[in-house]
Amino acid sequence: MSDINFRLNGREVSYSGSAADRLLDVLRNTYLCTSVKCGCKEGECGACSVLIDGVLFNSCCVAMGAIEGAEVVTMEGFRETRRFEVLDRAFGELSAVQCGFCIPGMVLAAEALLSQNPQPTEEEIREGLSGNLCRCTGYNAIVNAVGLAAKEGKGLW
Amino acid sequence: MVNGYSVSSLAEALEIRSSHSVVPYAGGTDLMVENRKGVEYLFLGKIPELRNITEDDEYIRIGAAVTFTQALEDKKVPDLMKEALKRIAAPAIRNAGTFGGNLGNGSAKADSVLIEFVSDAKLRLASRDKERIVDVDKFYLGRKKLDLGEDELILEVLLPKTGLDRYSYEKVGGRNALAISRVSFAGIFDEKDGRITKLAAAFGAVADTVLRYKDLEETMLGKTIEEARELKEKYLESYAERMVLTQGRVSAEYRKNVCMNLLGSFLAKFGI
Repeated sequence: MSDINFRLNGREVSYSGSAADRLLDVLRNTYLCTSVKCGCKEGECGACSVLIDGVLFNSCCVAMGAIEGAEVVTMEGFRETRRFEVLDRAFGELSAVQCGFCIPGMVLAAEALLSQNPQPTEEEIREGLSGNLCRCTGYNAIVNAVGLAAKEGKGLW
Repeated sequence: MVNGYSVSSLAEALEIRSSHSVVPYAGGTDLMVENRKGVEYLFLGKIPELRNITEDDEYIRIGAAVTFTQALEDKKVPDLMKEALKRIAAPAIRNAGTFGGNLGNGSAKADSVLIEFVSDAKLRLASRDKERIVDVDKFYLGRKKLDLGEDELILEVLLPKTGLDRYSYEKVGGRNALAISRVSFAGIFDEKDGRITKLAAAFGAVADTVLRYKDLEETMLGKTIEEARELKEKYLESYAERMVLTQGRVSAEYRKNVCMNLLGSFLAKFGI
């Protein structure tokens, strides 16, 4: 039986566990990527959002066997980028972070949105973040922060 | 890999499906929530034949592992289907969820399946040794019961290319995003020379399978709009008599009221 090989935040890794294991659990427990939060295990909250080959997925709804050969990016990897710096500054400036639990998912959802659509309207931002729940209900500040990041980071996406 | 098979060709997938007890895995959004213990998955996401949207003279052919996001971005996919797809869950789920998975999960709440019912879509299924095409309403045998052999895979959805332009689509859920349908409705109307040639109505999420009553629909075919208007009350009564709805998180009575209202507004939209 061969291992499951994939790239995690730019690093080649091999996973020898079950192909049926959840990506969410493996990221947290095996690779200690604890920015990936477990909120619901039903694909309903977005706290476990990750990028797989640049596309947004809920890692609770992905089995390890499905990511063979893929590139997975979590906040641990994304935080090393210029784009993150811009989003980080925008979220800080507009006090868009309250308890913080949803924020890694929100930021990766924002990254997925901006890489498709660098100058989104407010409505498009709300649609892009619609799978990410914030139980502090700080949505307006988060939406504004993504809008600000799009403006400040012009040319980065 | 342990507890799973990753394949890159359809032939390989059908071979494994015929010789092992595996659960076909396309997008994973339903399977991972179910989280069945001790199963072996057959990962279908890398099979090119299942990831394409093509067309022939009659049909738009949507591969079983095509995601909802992919279909939303494809010009060939009809607007009626897109109306339903864009209201499924949220971007991350639409990036993963597939047509084959929506079918294979067997739920009457599956939003893409409702459109397949109302538009008389067909499904192409295959095992290692044979292939067959089945009407989508024949594929659903009951709650979570499908006409799919242990050795078969769903290959593609065959959606008719024409006759889907004049429609109504409504989804009633608890919120805008990430909502599972409580009631969903799709209707298609068509007329020629002032006479009704199509009046299809399908109801999702209200019973064990999507509901559609072709014999009732037929009573309106060939009628003028005026004649249909006169028959409307009786027509709605026949639907009300026929619909026996399941009690779910919301009451059967509420669901029935919503269904009847949606059917009524569909008819009204086209002057009936």
